[in-house]
Amino acid sequence: MRSLASLPPLARICLSVLAALAAVCWLAPALSRYGPILPDWDALSAAPGTAGHWFGTDAIGRDVFARTLAGGRLSLGIGLLASVVALAIGLGYGAVAGLAGGRTERAMLRVLDVFSALPFLLVVILLLTLFERSLWLLLVAIGGYVWIDLARVMRAEAARLREAPFVLAAQAAGAGFGQRLRWHVLPNLLPLALVYLGLILPQAILVESFLGFLGLSIDEPSSSWGGLLAEGVQELDSAPWTLLFPAGFLVTTLAAFQFLGDGLRDWLDVKRGAPRSEEAAA
Amino acid sequence: MSAGLLSLQGLCVGIHAGARRLLGPIDLELRAGQCLGVVGESGSGKSLTALSLLGLLPPGLHAQGALRVDGETVALGGAAHARLRGRRLAWVPQDPLAALHPLRRVGAQLVETLRAVRGLGAAAAQAQAQALFERVQLPEPAAALQRYPHQFSGGQRQRIAIALALATAPQALIADEPTSALDARIARDILDLLDRLRREDGLALLLISHDLPLVGAYAQQLLVLQRGAAVEQGETARVFAAPAQAYTRELLAADRIEALPDSAADAPLWLRGEGLGLRYPRAPRPALDAVDIELRSGEGLALVGESGSGKSTLGRVLLRLARGAQGRVWVDGVDLATLDAAALRRWRAQTGVVFQDPYASLDPRMPVAQIVAEPLRIHTRLDAAARRERAAALLAAVGLDAAMLDRYPHQFSGGQRQRIAIARALATEPKLLVCDEAVSALDAHHRAAILALLARLKRERGLALLFVTHDLAAAAAVAERIAVLEAGRIVETGATAQVLRAPRHAHTRALLAARPAG
Repeated sequence: MRSLASLPPLARICLSVLAALAAVCWLAPALSRYGPILPDWDALSAAPGTAGHWFGTDAIGRDVFARTLAGGRLSLGIGLLASVVALAIGLGYGAVAGLAGGRTERAMLRVLDVFSALPFLLVVILLLTLFERSLWLLLVAIGGYVWIDLARVMRAEAARLREAPFVLAAQAAGAGFGQRLRWHVLPNLLPLALVYLGLILPQAILVESFLGFLGLSIDEPSSSWGGLLAEGVQELDSAPWTLLFPAGFLVTTLAAFQFLGDGLRDWLDVKRGAPRSEEAAA
Repeated sequence: MSAGLLSLQGLCVGIHAGARRLLGPIDLELRAGQCLGVVGESGSGKSLTALSLLGLLPPGLHAQGALRVDGETVALGGAAHARLRGRRLAWVPQDPLAALHPLRRVGAQLVETLRAVRGLGAAAAQAQAQALFERVQLPEPAAALQRYPHQFSGGQRQRIAIALALATAPQALIADEPTSALDARIARDILDLLDRLRREDGLALLLISHDLPLVGAYAQQLLVLQRGAAVEQGETARVFAAPAQAYTRELLAADRIEALPDSAADAPLWLRGEGLGLRYPRAPRPALDAVDIELRSGEGLALVGESGSGKSTLGRVLLRLARGAQGRVWVDGVDLATLDAAALRRWRAQTGVVFQDPYASLDPRMPVAQIVAEPLRIHTRLDAAARRERAAALLAAVGLDAAMLDRYPHQFSGGQRQRIAIARALATEPKLLVCDEAVSALDAHHRAAILALLARLKRERGLALLFVTHDLAAAAAVAERIAVLEAGRIVETGATAQVLRAPRHAHTRALLAARPAG
């Protein structure tokens, strides 16, 4: 595996920004004098900077700084969990389809096509409206939305591995499907899957924010960034900071992920890697 | 004797000036109408020599030496050197597919060069492009200009790359392993073409190869490199007649045919295949067409043919590794078609496979101990410690050290990796070893060592060996019998010595003729 030091500088900056954001969100209780839920009745819709409310307060006096960081914790946390769910499903599905080949592979690909043809957000909204909302349902809903592309990428790579001589050699030695999958295909897919985690995380965060904006994410009184945006829009005239700060955090996070993803893609591109030492010497 | 066109005295290449030297000192001279062959095994510095001449060394490497072109001194790697490149010096790549733009018509690529370097107008460039395609003997030159690189065969692509090199009307061509990606007959055609260009146009030719006998057939002067140093230099005839160095003799001998005596003639029949066939979807003809085959225990059978002749496919069909294969295979009298999936997997303990590419046939994420012991993990209940012990013994059997058990494949050379692959194939003490082009990715030195290893293992363990190759000399080193395939059919079969001395089929004669004089 290439060392992280060879990441392009922009990607490294983005990685630092994201690490700092995550650290601030999780350390929020230690940084802020106010909690995200209890109102400060002396400062309703206070402008940023008044009485220790660095980002101001909303209409019922809740501290926007504390709420933004708490929202970040939810957005990032749910995004990460949902991505891991998607990763597990996509990796498993793609690896099985790619290694199986033939009719099984074609059938499993058609299933993927059907999934991508569904208006998925509508289905998710329907699910979240009909059933009692829970964190699990939310994770499955978001994970179910982002796993499809991942499964396709993993399928393609697994199909390449299926014909790779070292997998053929295992088959020729008598290794069954499960053994080839566990010993060769999954371990060789994992590094790629982990890098793709960096690409699907922002998708998951965006979908979660969208659901939060529609009020379909985690229930009040805690709100993720999407929920905060929905509240902020209501107060746009009286207290625009309630919209601008969470929006700024969300945009910064997504942009950082975007640049990081671009960097990771270049970094992963085999053609740009170092040539094999023996060939270079020849 | 013609005048020296280009001379390079005291060429040294190192990482930074003065640090560890990778190459040199080397003296070489290119004359108009002459061919200089640069020969050596991989890592001997052949390509570094070519890159230094072209001024295209990778960053971090420094070349020193006195380059003189037409009597004028040119600073190595300087601006004047860069002006020579692509004008008076041209380069023919090893892999023409990588050197051609995949998304542009080859004609457009050629015309672009003609206009940029020679300053020709559009119509003149088009006419010149067609003339160049005729010069390199491409069929239907006018139509070929309109096609894309993927629409040509490997040999045709190499002709296009040569046409591109000629577009700038160079005085010297530098060809770096121009034929190593091609099979023997087409390689011969390409070298004949380069030879004609040399004679008729008075081009100076620098021909780089790992194949000394092949280069010897074309070059007037030879330079033999070993580990970055010139070990032998001089007229080809003299080097061939009286090689001064043991290394040169080894390179010369690596390609000589010495047939094995038939020692397995009375052994019992172990494997029989009947009507074996395979057709890939949408292929115009079957890859393998109703082939019958027999193999006795302890016998070596070489499957020989050009690429696309179906020899690798036959190996895979016999091992039941190909989907959609036709025909029946009996092993020890048992019809493989009657075995269910689990029984077939158990049967695989009796077979071992070694593939062509030692880089790709070992899982990069597994240590050698696990790779070698994998068949044991499948077929036995040995625990990890016992498997490790067996792996160490297997490594010893193929000439590797047990201390290497915890290393990963990328830490080994090509020859060592092929030994690891052989150790894995032998783990379950199989009765049949299938080697699919197992030595063709190796250089002469390693090839000879692996062939000797295979011959020894076959003798000691009574292995039946199915040896798929396009290299007749390699086939002769390990196989008593030979089967020649063409277009999915066996066209000739018999004792190796007999087939090689008195080939009956025209295709076998063509394969033999494609070999350089050894």
